[in-house]
Amino acid sequence: MSRLLRPRWLELQLLVVPAAASLVGLLTIYLARNGRTSWSWADLTVSLLFIGVVFLTHFWLTLLRVRSDELLLPIVVMLSCLGLLLSQRLGPAIPHGGVWASLSQRQLVYLLVAFLALGTTVGLVRRFEVLRRLRYTWAVTAIALTIFTMLFGTDLGSGARLWIDLGPVTVQPGEVVKVLLVLFLAGYLDDHRELIASSYRVGPFRLPPLPYLIPLVVMWGLSVLVVVLQNDLGNALLLFGIFLVMLYVVSGRSLYVIAGSLAFAVAVAIALRLFPRVEQRVSIWLNPWSDPTGIGLQPVQADLAFAHGHLLGAGWGFGYPQAIPVVATDYAFAAIGEELGSLGSVAVIALYLLLVMRGLFIAVRIRNSYVRLLSVGLVTVLGLQALIILAGNVRLLPLTGITLPFISAGGSSLITNFVIIGLLLRASEFARD
Amino acid sequence: MWTILRPATFIATLLLIAYGVAITEDRADPRWLLVLSVIAVLWYVALRTQFSARLARNAAPLIHVALVLCIGFGLVTVQVLRAQLLDRDRILARAGNPASGVVDIRRYVSDRRTERGRILFRDGTVIARDIVRSDGTRARIYEGVGAYLAGYYSPALFGASGIEARYDDTLSGHAALTWQTWLDGVLHRNQRGNDVILSVDPRLQELGQSLLGDRSGGAVLLDANSGAVLALVTSPGYDPNRLSVPLGASKEEVEGARSYFDALQADGRGPLVLRPIQGLYVPGSTFKTVTAAAAFEFGMARPDTVYRDDGALAIDSRIIIEQNRPDPNRVSYTLQEGYGYSLNVVFAQVGLQVGAQRLEQMARALGFGEAIPFDLPVVPSQLARSPDFLTSQAGIAETAFGQGQLLVTPMQMALVAAAVVRDGTIPQPYLVEEIRRPDGTTVRRHQPVTWRRAFSDSTAQALRDVMVWSVEHGYASGARIEGAVVGGKTGTAEVGSGAPHAWFLGFAERGDKRIVVAVVVEHGGSGAQVALPIGRALLDAALTGG
Repeated sequence: MSRLLRPRWLELQLLVVPAAASLVGLLTIYLARNGRTSWSWADLTVSLLFIGVVFLTHFWLTLLRVRSDELLLPIVVMLSCLGLLLSQRLGPAIPHGGVWASLSQRQLVYLLVAFLALGTTVGLVRRFEVLRRLRYTWAVTAIALTIFTMLFGTDLGSGARLWIDLGPVTVQPGEVVKVLLVLFLAGYLDDHRELIASSYRVGPFRLPPLPYLIPLVVMWGLSVLVVVLQNDLGNALLLFGIFLVMLYVVSGRSLYVIAGSLAFAVAVAIALRLFPRVEQRVSIWLNPWSDPTGIGLQPVQADLAFAHGHLLGAGWGFGYPQAIPVVATDYAFAAIGEELGSLGSVAVIALYLLLVMRGLFIAVRIRNSYVRLLSVGLVTVLGLQALIILAGNVRLLPLTGITLPFISAGGSSLITNFVIIGLLLRASEFARD
Repeated sequence: MWTILRPATFIATLLLIAYGVAITEDRADPRWLLVLSVIAVLWYVALRTQFSARLARNAAPLIHVALVLCIGFGLVTVQVLRAQLLDRDRILARAGNPASGVVDIRRYVSDRRTERGRILFRDGTVIARDIVRSDGTRARIYEGVGAYLAGYYSPALFGASGIEARYDDTLSGHAALTWQTWLDGVLHRNQRGNDVILSVDPRLQELGQSLLGDRSGGAVLLDANSGAVLALVTSPGYDPNRLSVPLGASKEEVEGARSYFDALQADGRGPLVLRPIQGLYVPGSTFKTVTAAAAFEFGMARPDTVYRDDGALAIDSRIIIEQNRPDPNRVSYTLQEGYGYSLNVVFAQVGLQVGAQRLEQMARALGFGEAIPFDLPVVPSQLARSPDFLTSQAGIAETAFGQGQLLVTPMQMALVAAAVVRDGTIPQPYLVEEIRRPDGTTVRRHQPVTWRRAFSDSTAQALRDVMVWSVEHGYASGARIEGAVVGGKTGTAEVGSGAPHAWFLGFAERGDKRIVVAVVVEHGGSGAQVALPIGRALLDAALTGG
């Protein structure tokens, strides 16, 4: 039996916790809302469906006989369980005029598709050679998608064209572009690894091989363009951050990182001066109380949400997170802060930290330089994105409209992140001690 | 070396955080962000050396990436904990301040789930309660005479006033968390706040209100033994129903309440002023009680001390004309007679004899110049408005018989009478007698407290004799009640323009009962004819009632 199927005991055991959490959490939400203490099995349909898919995924991994990491899936399931509960909780509170299903129904459907995407990724990607060979294809696709979105995209209220309307669903290509970028960079940087790490002397200075750093300049330019055109500091920070991390991992030279960060900071500072929209974001961040019912409404209400949460939180369904506009995507963490309190918030932060550390721990042990670089890039996408939006929620950075991985409502983000996890699961097979 | 330095670094960062929290009010204050940057650098330096030494060269960049992300998440944690544990009160207070313009919806949502407790009089008469209107919104209604004592509760427009404001925590159920309220909260059941029971006897309140009628004025009736307010009458009043705007009220309702409020404020008679505790009046002759108290307490005179009164007295350039002498041919009167016949010339002399300093000392001992502790805010009474008024002889003389720059509340004068019947001690007056849970059990019952001692019991005895003489033989004789010991003092306070304010200050004792009253009728005329009958009727009713 065990020769035929490689049992993933650790994963199976760890999945029990999020499975139970989804049941208890859902019951709490329903019963709290109705003031009852009794429940029927019908109340649990959503959770049971979720649990079913989770364990199906687990058995699919077992069936494929992958030797991948057994911690990644439980962490991700726990986070997406929180996301599902949050959408259940916010579902009735947030009106969904004209959309094809309620918030929680959509989240459930997206989650099912996302798990399917994960399973498919793990099933299809066996070796990474194909991904590597297609590196320029990824780049072209990413650029095409970006241009297409800029030209034909729709604006869902953020002041930037970030979505493509496909009838029943809207897709945010920006999410996919991040992954395509990582796929391209991993291939490109690994190809030119030696050259990028080398240097030559001009008098007393050791200079990097400039021609191979053209991507550095291009990336910088693109990021600044994102800030200016889309007023989207978060995505710019994310794209540039991913690039710097991968460049650093390839070259091992912190000079690149320092120079890149400084150049980016200078560009942002100039953008601040030149574009009032960007400057407004920063001034809301520093002092939302100057206009607490206008542009400062979101951060002020988020502050109140955190304050009402206190140590233990109001409990699922007992807070009033819908007081924060766009809570389901931008301020998901504030809703958790209100209803689960400091303990819940810190636990969520810890889960992300755990995910990122596990991912990097896997990467350290991968000998194949391409797969390793790819893994680092993918982990960085998740880690940086979580960090930037968490920091925005707690006003450590200006708020940006990116999603909180696995928790925020949103199909594109959810599916992309699950594909990332699928790739990481496969990559972890390369890990050797 | 790092085994010591690393813990030291973390302690240093903790101290830095404490410092940052102390100097900044907000999580995005640039100074605080600077502190966090310094912390990030410290952490980086402390952790970096630990890892890089142990790991293979090619793993080093990855370790640094991990480190940077770790520190990032660490800083987010610091921010979250600061918001939820340290800045919480600051944020809530900031949003709770109406001037900020922020609506703390969460508070209102929880208020709406709670049925606000009732406000009742001591016999169970409900003056304020919640109803659910046909559109599902919860509204507050007030009924009965003296419903204005509850104040108003208007979350959508004005906030709250009176007992509604002062006992908001109790009425809204925020005050005491019991097992039951906790369970109700967990299950989102509707909750009910506690009831507040006032010490007011509706029979006496109604009597006072009807006796005062349309005239502007106020009356306070106290149980001198406990300090319980038995009646607190004001006229004209207002309808709290029209000021209470519930959450979810229509635009017309809000506008209606706003215009009613504006009209009340524009009304020259001041219907929003709760006269017995917020109205300031010239006390007239009732203040002679305070002057006499100072004279007795400091040994300057006794009830039988004789003064000369031949119809007029010249002090500096001021001439005081006596109009109250019962017999124009008689020129010498004892202090007791001077009190009973309300002789200004006699009391001008008593006042000069006592002097400004002792008069002030006695007034302060009685509570002048400070807010009397009570369930509703009491405006401080004053001896003189300008500090140098009492440095002139004429000023002292006028003050001594109740004119000058004196301004008092009826509550303050009632407490003077209470000190007389209580051997010199003043009770702490109270309006809220009991807090009761919805199931009828008592949460808290007011225990009578002595506020302070105003004068010695021999002074109290002398004042008592003088006040009783005033009712037995003097001008307050209309206040006599069969079978009770009654003392009193009338007052007719000159107020510049219009008829004088009519005053009555008195007490009545029968058995263990000791009741005091203070009545003022604005521009009512003679104290003996206008205010005294109201005071007597209230005392009589209070003595005979349950």
